[in-house]
Amino acid sequence: MASPESAVNGPTMTAGAASKSLRNAFGGVIAFIILVLIGVLAFSIRLFSVIKYESVIHEFDPYFNYRVTQFLSKNGIYDFWNWFDDRTWYPLGRVIGGTVYPGLTLTAGTIWKVVNSLNIPLSVETVCVFTAPIFSAFASWAAYLLTKEVKGPGAGLTAAALLAMVPSYISRSVAGSYDNEAVAIFALVFTFYLYIKTLNTGSLFYATLNALAYFYMVCSWGGYTFIINLIPMHVLLCIVTGRYSSRLYIAYAPLVVLGTLLASLVPVVGFNAVLTSEHFASFLVFIIIHVVALAYYIKGILSPKMFKVAVTLVVSVGLAVCCAVIAILIAVVASSPTKGWSGRSLTLLDPTYASKYIPIIASVSEHQPPTWPSYFMDINVLAFLVPAGIIACFMPLTDSSSFVILYIVTSVYFSGVMVRLMLVLAPAACILSGIALSEAFNVLTRSIKFQLPGIAGNPSIAVRMWRIMSTSKENGSSTVVAPNDIPKTEEAAKEKPAKKNRKKEKENVEKKPTPSKTEKRLLVLPLEASVIAVLLLVLLGAFYVVHCVWAAAEAYSAPSIVLTSHSNDGGLHVFDDFREAYSWLSHNTDVDDKVASWWDYGYQTTAMANRTVLVDNNTWNNTHIATVGTAMSSPEKQAWEIFHSLDVKYVLVVFGGVVGYPSDDINKFLWMVRIGGGVFPHIKEPDYLRDGQYRIDAQATPTMLNCLMYKLSYFRFVETDGKGFDRVRRTEIGKKHFKLTHFEEVFTTHHWMVRIYKLKPQRNRIRGKTKKSKSSRSVSSKRDVRGKRNPWH
Amino acid sequence: MSISPNLSHFLSFFFLLLLLTIAAADESDLVADLLSLQSHSKSGVIHLHDHSISRFLTSTKPPRPYSLLVFFDAKHLHDNSELRLQDLHREFSLLSSSFITNNPNNGKLFLCDIEFKESQSTFSLFGVSSLPHIRLIGPDVKNPKDSEQMNQGDSSRLAESMAEFVQSRTQISVGPIHRPPFMSKTQLGFLIAFFLCWTPYFVKKVIAGETVFHDPKVWLAGSVFIYFFSVSGAMHNIIRKMPMFMVDRNDPSKLVFFYQGSGMQLGAEGFAVGFLYTVVGLLLAVMTHGLVKVKNVTAQRVIMISSILVCFWAVSKVVYLDNWKTGYGIHTFWPRSWS
Repeated sequence: MASPESAVNGPTMTAGAASKSLRNAFGGVIAFIILVLIGVLAFSIRLFSVIKYESVIHEFDPYFNYRVTQFLSKNGIYDFWNWFDDRTWYPLGRVIGGTVYPGLTLTAGTIWKVVNSLNIPLSVETVCVFTAPIFSAFASWAAYLLTKEVKGPGAGLTAAALLAMVPSYISRSVAGSYDNEAVAIFALVFTFYLYIKTLNTGSLFYATLNALAYFYMVCSWGGYTFIINLIPMHVLLCIVTGRYSSRLYIAYAPLVVLGTLLASLVPVVGFNAVLTSEHFASFLVFIIIHVVALAYYIKGILSPKMFKVAVTLVVSVGLAVCCAVIAILIAVVASSPTKGWSGRSLTLLDPTYASKYIPIIASVSEHQPPTWPSYFMDINVLAFLVPAGIIACFMPLTDSSSFVILYIVTSVYFSGVMVRLMLVLAPAACILSGIALSEAFNVLTRSIKFQLPGIAGNPSIAVRMWRIMSTSKENGSSTVVAPNDIPKTEEAAKEKPAKKNRKKEKENVEKKPTPSKTEKRLLVLPLEASVIAVLLLVLLGAFYVVHCVWAAAEAYSAPSIVLTSHSNDGGLHVFDDFREAYSWLSHNTDVDDKVASWWDYGYQTTAMANRTVLVDNNTWNNTHIATVGTAMSSPEKQAWEIFHSLDVKYVLVVFGGVVGYPSDDINKFLWMVRIGGGVFPHIKEPDYLRDGQYRIDAQATPTMLNCLMYKLSYFRFVETDGKGFDRVRRTEIGKKHFKLTHFEEVFTTHHWMVRIYKLKPQRNRIRGKTKKSKSSRSVSSKRDVRGKRNPWH
Repeated sequence: MSISPNLSHFLSFFFLLLLLTIAAADESDLVADLLSLQSHSKSGVIHLHDHSISRFLTSTKPPRPYSLLVFFDAKHLHDNSELRLQDLHREFSLLSSSFITNNPNNGKLFLCDIEFKESQSTFSLFGVSSLPHIRLIGPDVKNPKDSEQMNQGDSSRLAESMAEFVQSRTQISVGPIHRPPFMSKTQLGFLIAFFLCWTPYFVKKVIAGETVFHDPKVWLAGSVFIYFFSVSGAMHNIIRKMPMFMVDRNDPSKLVFFYQGSGMQLGAEGFAVGFLYTVVGLLLAVMTHGLVKVKNVTAQRVIMISSILVCFWAVSKVVYLDNWKTGYGIHTFWPRSWS
């Protein structure tokens, strides 16, 4: 008993304090280095797309963001704010400044400006490509800060390392994936960190920062409603479970007031910040917290007897006010048709809502409910660790740990409804897994360290030596801590209230008499089992790393604008047809020419070819999309008329039949028919189907074989192989030899993936021929032509 | 002599009249019979079979004074959740009862149902080969196969859309659908009374901090359960209405619990994997927070080794199942010189 005790109390207090501060500094430096490395890891794991392909913007929406950033960097913030874009949705145009979340654009624009003012000549595109990886590093650091507030720096470091490479987040933030989510996840985690920080310190400084971080989140992503509902839920939970404190008030009230004011400054949110139901929860809780605060205040200044009298008064008045406000809220909510909730929010509350009422939302693939393999793919082994993290947060339950629990529970439920929200779950899963891993390593390494023969002498006595407080807010770095440094772990075990209190507590801890500990046991597990468990946990972590690297390299790095395929002999074949076509457009057409294509390619056409399009991926006007769909599904002549009436010069179709690229326009064609038929009833889906089957071979319906999309896709197709065998549909096409009357082929890319056609000009009027003069008269007024015979023949 | 042609004319006219009146009487009889059948049924849906079909439909001559809206039912397919026959039949009965309340003693339209096992010949008469199937037999329809089928794709399978269909084809107005209220008034009253009585008690408890909600263990169990529920993909099962298991198509005596292909999962499969996901974390928490407090070292050792084994098994099982289901070949990236 004596020898271990002397090992504990051996060093004198002064020597202990000195070595402790040295050790603290040392730990701080190591933690800093680890954090830098985590940032490097987060950044570099997202570079697979650049290494495997090149530094290029990905997919569709990022091209729009890129174009907006280009505009911002060229014209400045005020022009951006007032930007009316006439290059899209011709002839309607689109108000860009008021309809986008500007956070991402402003961020990248600022980075570009700073970098250029430092005389580092980066192009806007380079900055855009690398914005997402940079912000992933920031997000990891934010996760460190948040977890550190909850369970100490050890858990924080683990969580940050996990978040740096969680596949779910990688999928949205690889280099080139220049989309809102890339910066929004950082903003989300950082806002939560500042909330927790304010809750722990009660400092108005952090409360103000919190409102600013919330403002950044509102600027960045529509998902900010998650914050403004989660924080009120947590506040309400604290109040109901009797955890109200002035720190809670300071953390919440400024956020609502400042946050709402700031949020309404963002044009796309505007008055929605006070008018839609997504925000009402925060106002309701705002009222409740004031009532509760008043009650606590009165309780403080009155004697218990007086308080009882006052309570009746306050409760009745408060209830009356609450009832009135609730009644007003209900009236406002009930007066709107969707009860004030947007369709997507309602889908989260009632998962079957979308499938019943909003097919558009239900049809989008990222709005599908995930199956269990999605969790394994996206958060991998974290799915195993999270329950342990939840339990760790309950022991003990603090304000901050209850927030993390609430965060994981809500986000895991939401992710169960929509696979897209896995992205919100990922940080929560990382934080809780970090806590779980850190706690587990803490116990296991402690068990190994204090039971290793030769270090603490007789292990059975060591077991009876001391006990680490069960409230261990451990830093998990017990491997660094020498066995004689007990007061440090003790101190770390304390919760962290306000700074001033902390100092006092430190003194208390240091002066705390140690004899009480001698009665307690060291909480350890058997040595050999602990060794096995540590090894297995390390193995689990290694598996996670392997999975994440694989996911980053293989699953989530394809830019979809450049395609590759592996040939049988291991060679790599690159299909760069899209950029080939867009650069052809920008070099060979007039700058004001209008290009018609299906809406998927709208953003890319405006961004890369800089040509005006009719419809794009911001599908705000269904009629306009239906017009294009109708044109694509009509015979050549009617299509020509529709396009001509819209001043279209070129038509762009994507065709995969030669190389076997499945997501081409022929495969999307039924959607064009459906959407077109939804507005123009003369387009009927059954006309394009043979016995309910969609086919393009000899069995296809005449309507299908004569529609514009078929003709533009398969024009001269038979010349490629002599048979006209479509490699996507795996069949020979139905109509092989035909000529175009109203369109002429002007460009087809290397692999035939993009084909561009020009509308033939109207025929000249030929005098003296009675046959033609009749028709040429009808040409003069376009409307008359419809339904009559073709005027050009 | 001159009378005889008149007489014959008269006679023929008389017979014609007689025939007509008989027919008219017959028709009014049929309507009366249908009305009485209707009044016997609770919802007003007349249950037909082969014999009554021939009486009311095939042996009558068009134009009939009434239209029939026939619901083709099959009891043995009621279990099949995809067809939703019972839901549809409930809506159909609702349409019928609403029609009768809105138009009492209307002899123009009758809603009927036919069961497959009882009246197979009628099914073949109408050429019905797939369910759900609702057919409107107008007054002028001669051949039953000419009658019009209600388009399943268009109608969202609710009584309202059925009413619109009837209205557009027969010009008979059905009127508003009377859905039974979710809860009867007395039930609602009891509930409100109970709620009122319970509220002060609850408020007192909340202030005293004695409810189950003040027990962290309840919250702990709740959060772990929600986690388990979500990662098992139960939302997917609810939204897609997936069954717990399927019968193997190749071998009907076998049951399929695990579906290969990542886009879909079965109920039992999800819960099994969700359990595996959760149990590892729970055991880890037990080791770190519970087991350390146990004094008996042997017990510690036994529990720890066994939970390590369970965890190892669970993780490897999930990894194996994931590879099997999705077919992804997850591999490492070693430097080329190493291999």
